[in-house]
Amino acid sequence: MNMSVYGMLLVSSLAIGSIYGLIALGYALIYKSSGLLSFTQGDILTLGAYLGLTFYSILGIPFAISLLLTMACAFVLGILLEKGVIRQLLNKNVGAIYVVLATIAISYIIQNGSQLAWGTIQLNFPSVFPVQNVNIFGVNVRPEALMCFIVSIALMIILHFFMTKTRFGTSMRAASMDSMAAESLGIDVSLTTGVSWGLSAGLAAIAGMLIGPIYGVYSTLGSTIGRKGFSGAVIGGYGNMYGAMIGGLILGIVETFSASLISSTYRNLIAYALLLIFMFIKPTGIFNERAIQD
Amino acid sequence: MAPLLELKDFHYYYGNIHSVKGISLYVNEGEMVTLIGANGAGKTTTMQTISGLTSPKGIRGEIWFDGKKISGLKGHKISAMGLAHVLEGRHVFSKLTVEENLTMGAFMRKDTKNIKSDMDGVYKRFPRLLERKTQLAGTLSGGEQQMLAIGRALMARPKMILLDEPSLGLSPKITKEVFAAIKEINKEDGITVFFVEQNSKIALNTASRGYVMQTGEMVIEDTCENLMSNADVQKAYLGGE
Repeated sequence: MNMSVYGMLLVSSLAIGSIYGLIALGYALIYKSSGLLSFTQGDILTLGAYLGLTFYSILGIPFAISLLLTMACAFVLGILLEKGVIRQLLNKNVGAIYVVLATIAISYIIQNGSQLAWGTIQLNFPSVFPVQNVNIFGVNVRPEALMCFIVSIALMIILHFFMTKTRFGTSMRAASMDSMAAESLGIDVSLTTGVSWGLSAGLAAIAGMLIGPIYGVYSTLGSTIGRKGFSGAVIGGYGNMYGAMIGGLILGIVETFSASLISSTYRNLIAYALLLIFMFIKPTGIFNERAIQD
Repeated sequence: MAPLLELKDFHYYYGNIHSVKGISLYVNEGEMVTLIGANGAGKTTTMQTISGLTSPKGIRGEIWFDGKKISGLKGHKISAMGLAHVLEGRHVFSKLTVEENLTMGAFMRKDTKNIKSDMDGVYKRFPRLLERKTQLAGTLSGGEQQMLAIGRALMARPKMILLDEPSLGLSPKITKEVFAAIKEINKEDGITVFFVEQNSKIALNTASRGYVMQTGEMVIEDTCENLMSNADVQKAYLGGE
């Protein structure tokens, strides 16, 4: 293989890796704000792909605006999910495991609901750019793949500044560290938690709209990606925002290169073996986040 | 004039457990009042319920603050009315810096211009916090964390501060420092103070009036002077004969 093949592999691994990263980021936000695991991430990605396709291709709205609309819809869905289901269950004093199970139920409802709305046939997401390929340092790259990576990194940077430099973002971190102290200082913890779930859903939906043009859109699109995003979150350090992105990228690189250099049959085997290796050897992940013990 | 804080026949239930059994108390504006009693007397439950930090389902009776009934309101609403709470065990945001912790104290203030000068005020009162302002709060010593928790509460410019066990886990020297600061906050800043304290001696020496709780009931209330000479109080809480 020559260098340009490696270059192409690198771009596609960064593209899928950054999608895993966005999903993992959502897992981290939810874990930090509620101490819970939500299995809805993958199916919100699917829903985002369908919504994006509807806005962009069916309604003819420009891509960037469709992306924002998709994110806004998912943001509201995420808040409703937390306020309407999760919070209600927690108020009944049910154990965390039941809440996690409820998120699995919701994930299937979203998946089936999308089938009902958009049908069972895989839909084609039209290309976003007029050209098939762009040439970067002698490597032919699909502009949609490049967009995945660039938009994801941009979102990560925006989220970083929001969480560390704004008062509301800092209050979200404060509430996730100590909800009682936050509430006593006038921070509406119910609001910050809702916003965390909203952001998680928004990020997942954007991921869906970014991957749609590359993978096509179908009702189980998010199932595998959701699980891989979870693995990425563990590899990076479960609950750590930066670890989520790095973990997702590492997973993308390992699985894409091993699929190509070893065999694509073993793509998932290698990806999940990597997850297990981390769980055994470094359960706190790359960013040394102590989440697993509780 | 009505008291700033008043509890009227207040009960608290954790499910079926009746943990506070109908207590009444008041704190007037400008006063410094203490609540003492053994572990499990219901002091922390009382304090946290005043601040809206316990489940409202367990409340019976009424809590009034600044002319409004606050029992059942959410914590952030009560905090916004000018009631700050320094929690038992300090509860600083361990992965935020000292400065970010103080900023969070001023979270709901609209007068952003004055926040900086208030922060300087906190640093002046607790110079160790200034030295450590870019450090993560989790790396501070217990005494420094208590100072930060008090400073953070002051950043809200409250009318009243509740403090729950400010001396918990602190050396006698640091305890003295912390109580000197609490006294200053009451005398110089005119902030009404109501605090719970295990160390009854220092509590009664600092406050002007005191309440004594025992297994969910209020057993005595009096001026601190009288409480200190009360034989029962001496025997039970001051280690006297």
